[in-house]
Amino acid sequence: MARRTLPRLVLAAPIAVVLLLLAAGTIAAQDPEPSLIPGPPAPTPIAHPAADGANGCADCHASLDGRQKAIVEDWRTGIHGIGGVGCADCHGGDPRSDQITVAMSEEAGFLGVPSRDQTVGVCGSCHSDAERMRPYGLPTDQYSKYWTSIHGQRLLAADDTKVAICIDCHGSHLIKKASDPTADVYPLNVPATCSRCHSDATLMEPYGIPTDQYATYEKSVHGQALITDKDIRAPSCASCHGSHSAKPPRSSEVVDVCGKCHTATQELYLESRHSELATAAPKCWTCHGTHDVAPPGERLFFHDSLPDYECTTCHQPPDMALSLDVEQFDTEADRRCDTCHHPESLIYSQVEAIAGALGGATDAQRRAEAKIAEARGLGMLVQDAEVALTEAKTGYIQGQAAVHTTKLTEVTVHTEEATSKAASAEALAQAKLDESLFRRRAMIIVVAVILANVAILFAIKRRIDRSRREQGQGAPPAT
Amino acid sequence: MTAGAPPTDATPMGGQPSGGQPADDWFERRLHWRGLMGALLHVRVPAESKTFFFGGITLFLFGVQVVTGTLLALYYKPTPAAAYDSVLFLTSDVSFGWLIRSVHHWGANLMIVFLVLHLLRVFFQAAYKFPRELTWVVGVGLLGLTMVFGFTGYLLPWDQRAYWATVVGTEIAGGVPIIGDTLLVLLRGGADVTEATLSRFFGIHVLVVPLALGMIVAVHLVFVHQQGLASPQVPDPRPPAVPTGRTKPFFPDYLLEEVIAWLFLLAILVVLASIFPAGLEEEANPLETPAHIKPEWYFLGVYELLKHVPRIVGILAPMVFVLLLLVLPFIDRNPEVRPRRRPLAIVLGILGIAVMVGLTIWGYVS
Repeated sequence: MARRTLPRLVLAAPIAVVLLLLAAGTIAAQDPEPSLIPGPPAPTPIAHPAADGANGCADCHASLDGRQKAIVEDWRTGIHGIGGVGCADCHGGDPRSDQITVAMSEEAGFLGVPSRDQTVGVCGSCHSDAERMRPYGLPTDQYSKYWTSIHGQRLLAADDTKVAICIDCHGSHLIKKASDPTADVYPLNVPATCSRCHSDATLMEPYGIPTDQYATYEKSVHGQALITDKDIRAPSCASCHGSHSAKPPRSSEVVDVCGKCHTATQELYLESRHSELATAAPKCWTCHGTHDVAPPGERLFFHDSLPDYECTTCHQPPDMALSLDVEQFDTEADRRCDTCHHPESLIYSQVEAIAGALGGATDAQRRAEAKIAEARGLGMLVQDAEVALTEAKTGYIQGQAAVHTTKLTEVTVHTEEATSKAASAEALAQAKLDESLFRRRAMIIVVAVILANVAILFAIKRRIDRSRREQGQGAPPAT
Repeated sequence: MTAGAPPTDATPMGGQPSGGQPADDWFERRLHWRGLMGALLHVRVPAESKTFFFGGITLFLFGVQVVTGTLLALYYKPTPAAAYDSVLFLTSDVSFGWLIRSVHHWGANLMIVFLVLHLLRVFFQAAYKFPRELTWVVGVGLLGLTMVFGFTGYLLPWDQRAYWATVVGTEIAGGVPIIGDTLLVLLRGGADVTEATLSRFFGIHVLVVPLALGMIVAVHLVFVHQQGLASPQVPDPRPPAVPTGRTKPFFPDYLLEEVIAWLFLLAILVVLASIFPAGLEEEANPLETPAHIKPEWYFLGVYELLKHVPRIVGILAPMVFVLLLLVLPFIDRNPEVRPRRRPLAIVLGILGIAVMVGLTIWGYVS
């Protein structure tokens, strides 16, 4: 038995190795992983004599010019000043002395203003020290993450000191907690902080990076939520790109990046045929964009008029293998199912059926909404119809999410429920309208009866008045 | 106005057994019926009196509120957990529940409208002067009680508008100097508008105020009955004497006209309730403050005033105004009743109306 198995293994092993290599090669070719330059180890924190409550640096510098005074004031109000991190912790020197020749001497380890490449190490020397950060509950991976970022890599690879370093986002002397709403790194302020450099055409020019991201993001559904609505849950630049490890997500990562928040949608997408297409797969950004993510809707199914189909939209030479040309999806108006799926294809009819199911549910909701608004306008209580409509909307949203599975049956389960709930909402609202009509008709009858009574009383009054006149008792004096 | 002739021929029960309808005789034998009716109904009023029936209509509306309020109380549940649903149920599911609630809603509003009209009529006709000073004071008390009716009833549906209007309203009461903090806790039954507030507002609305209002209305009517209607032309003589001039019988002439006015009001109530039924917003949520909170229209003037003057002024001004109303008959010693001969009072009255109406409209549109 063993003898017979061995030759098979001998044959199978090279084949398996070849297949593995081919597979690895294919993956590498599809989405090459750039090799990272390792960052330097974190330096030892700057040593200096214990200050013992003294701070000669601040005492002297506060009495110098306005700029120096402002620096001292910034430091005092910043988190470092409050937490007892002194000047010497970043600049070296002897904080006990008020003599310039002692406090700022080389013997005392005075460093002066750290250079930009030194700064990362100065910050990292403390912030990567787990024991030192323990009392504050701060993470200690920022330093190592920074070197993996596009900023850090550029600093390592090209000694390019124009890239962002710690102080560009956090400040140098007036450092604030990230949870402080006035901090540049507070989530609501992050887009503006990134755009200080990334919207600067001169600064970005050497890197060939566009500078319209902020302007685009600001108008997007995410930007509106974060910047306009101040919804702290909405994603800022850092949510997708990372903060200390900032870099653009790669095609293979984008589903996970979006899925950090859109968890349920990610799961539905992973059930779809799209997700099985490996590198040719449409990803989140194919249909929704990147910085310009717009609210989703039924418009995403089809172009207003059929686009010009080119083979290269989805198939790439020389072998015309399935592969998306991402540039085809640059503009929002082209992020449609029929950008890829031709009207004569089988899948196109599937898309039509999905769009039809959602469209039917939308129409049913609109009819219900119109009826509810009409009934509400007549002063009717429409709470029950509104509950049914909310249920319809929930079903519709689930149906919309199920589109990510690309399976008609998954969508119709929800849209049929949404349509039926919307129909009951409409029926409830119609009942209110009928009730309102009944009230108005009944009102006419009741008012007529009341007026008839008034007429009778008037007649009695006239008779009394007449009889008084006849009896000459119209105006007798008081008795 | 003077009472009709007392019975002359006493039966064993003091009644007059013959000369009327059988039912009339039946009651007369047992209850001294004719004497009572004579005293209550068979009186005469000055022919030139123009009441516009405002006071009577207010009384009629109070009656409507008692009837509809009793019917509402059959379904209403005064706890935060059940109040909203019970109101929703009685409005949506109970047969003609919408009608009862809407009539109660409009009745409350119209009651305040007609009460104010009645007050203005009495003011401009100078009917608050001798000998009717106490009737006026009691009437101002009725105005205050009606406001309490409105304020306490407003909370009961326990929807967002009700809840937050009460939060704001009691907050204003909390600004009264010296007793403000105590008053706030007393009104709310604690620091916040809670179940305790709803219980006491309900108790005040359906027990305390109706009983108090009923009794004080009775006093008001007894006063009116004793003094008769004022003439808008001639001051009452001092010392009081039997009025001369043209008169007409209170019953049936005046009362018939009054009932016709009530029927018109009933028709108006039915129309308002049918075309503009009482609404209901979302259920009260103490954690979600609506963007715009406004009190009922009759508090809008004070609400708007508070926005433009220091808090203390905004709170004290209405109190001073009510105090001035109370003591008006004792301040205004001018015996004249014709508007032309009391220009200061008329100008001040018109100015007061303009300020109140202006502030209310401003509060409504702001």
